[in-house]
Amino acid sequence: MAGAGARVGLITALASRADIPIFPVLGVGGRRAAFALAALPGVRVVDHPRAAALLLVVGRPTRALLRPLLVVHDLLPPPRATVWWQVGAGGEDLVAALPSTVIATTGEVAGLRTVFGDLVSGRRPSDRPALPDIEPAPWRGIGPYGQGGSGMTGGVPFGRPLPSRSADPDGLELDELPLHVGPLFPPLPPGLELHLEVQGDVLRRASVGENPFTRWPGDPALGPLDTSDFLGALDAPVMVAHLELARARHHLRWAASAVALHGLRAEAHRLRHLAERVCVGDHPSVVALARRLGRCRSLASTMAGIGVLDGGDAPPGPVARAGGRGHDARLDDPAYEGLGFEPVVHEAGDAWDRFLQRLGEAAQALELAGRAGDRVRSPGPPVEGPRGLLDASEVPPSQKLLSLLPDLLEGQEWGDAMTTIISLDIDVEEAAAGAEVQALVEP
Amino acid sequence: MSLGAFGAVLTVVLTTGMAVVVSRWLHTALDPAQLLASERVPHLGGHEPSVHAWSRFHVRYYAMALLFLAFDMEMVFMYPWAVVFVQEGLIALVEMLMFILILLLGILYAWRERALEWA
Repeated sequence: MAGAGARVGLITALASRADIPIFPVLGVGGRRAAFALAALPGVRVVDHPRAAALLLVVGRPTRALLRPLLVVHDLLPPPRATVWWQVGAGGEDLVAALPSTVIATTGEVAGLRTVFGDLVSGRRPSDRPALPDIEPAPWRGIGPYGQGGSGMTGGVPFGRPLPSRSADPDGLELDELPLHVGPLFPPLPPGLELHLEVQGDVLRRASVGENPFTRWPGDPALGPLDTSDFLGALDAPVMVAHLELARARHHLRWAASAVALHGLRAEAHRLRHLAERVCVGDHPSVVALARRLGRCRSLASTMAGIGVLDGGDAPPGPVARAGGRGHDARLDDPAYEGLGFEPVVHEAGDAWDRFLQRLGEAAQALELAGRAGDRVRSPGPPVEGPRGLLDASEVPPSQKLLSLLPDLLEGQEWGDAMTTIISLDIDVEEAAAGAEVQALVEP
Repeated sequence: MSLGAFGAVLTVVLTTGMAVVVSRWLHTALDPAQLLASERVPHLGGHEPSVHAWSRFHVRYYAMALLFLAFDMEMVFMYPWAVVFVQEGLIALVEMLMFILILLLGILYAWRERALEWA
């Protein structure tokens, strides 16, 4: 018996030292901590709740995010636990809904390790399901197998209604499955909710659902966005080198998510680490990286010709420049005069050109940061953010890109649709912040 | 004492019965957490499915069938052609080239329909 106990102890000890599988849920203001999470040692960020042991809520979950969060919580296989990296005030609804939530120090792996170790060793009980045990489609017991129908294959199965039918592109009458994905559905950007009608893996129709980051009356303000460095430059002086480093970091983080979507996990890991520690001296390595990834035939074949967007239709920014429209707010910015700045431009406007565009802009940003020295940018002219033109009176680029999604996605296959969405680099939280500004301007 | 045929039947029945009992026991032993309704839904990122999963969709077999026919028919014709090639000479070569050209059109069509893509 002592031997068996020692063996179990050894297995538990080894299991608690394994990488912690985490399904992160991004709330308000948790962006920076979420970026850092992916680069933490001993942590494995998974994209499906069934593969996770810990549900990590980063930042404040809005009221609209709470119900989806509970649905996802119950999908984690037991033993499971919920950890909250609290950022700013608010979000107590989460603790009320999940009383066993552990509040841990934001950005530190030690707290996660303790909860995971306790969970694996059995010292901590698994979280109870958060939602009531009510069958969505109760067993009615009609028909020989309870299917409640008639006909050769049982006719109408019991439970949820069957999807309606419509003609597919080949003229066949086939089922059209309504599918609501998101707001917590990687690889979609956090918070993006899509209402889709699919036939097989072809998206027949798509529309964008409610923005969960939209503030309800009485909610606290939205937290700092990942473009806050650039938004800050609208009203305060900031060093050009600082802005350009932030741009390079943003594009490298985005490139990590783009290559991860196509299964290049090791490359994504390298890009994430590079993004977190990028400095002016990394210019040669980023140029080499851009050249290497630009030659990757497997990436090119999955992205080329997908999600084509003419430069004129896209909001001014990298997406428009990838489609051949060369405007860049830095051209008219006095702080960039004499730095030899020429916008990077591509022609095709597809997902592949957007990928090359951002890698090119990341390398260029590091070069500019090196040349700018201690040059300071004064507030006044519009700022060229990493997603496009930022202006206090303008709708942010993410909101414009969101409105382009339905037309772009229609008729695409699932994989191409995901490639298109990632290639646009949409921040749903930024879109919500923009909607607030718009509401103030046009009451 | 030999039980003969009856013994064999009894053995089969007992073994089968035990296999059923053991597999039922294993099922509960290995699945200590009996999942509740909210734990059994598919992952859609925070929503439950609104319609039944029983959905008929088009797997586009015709593209695969086209590829199969193109390559298979080529082989079917090539074996006898190889036997008479020396005897027939240039005319056989021209005939085969025409045949392959026709099949190539099918392959090009399948290519355009993205039948050759991995995913």
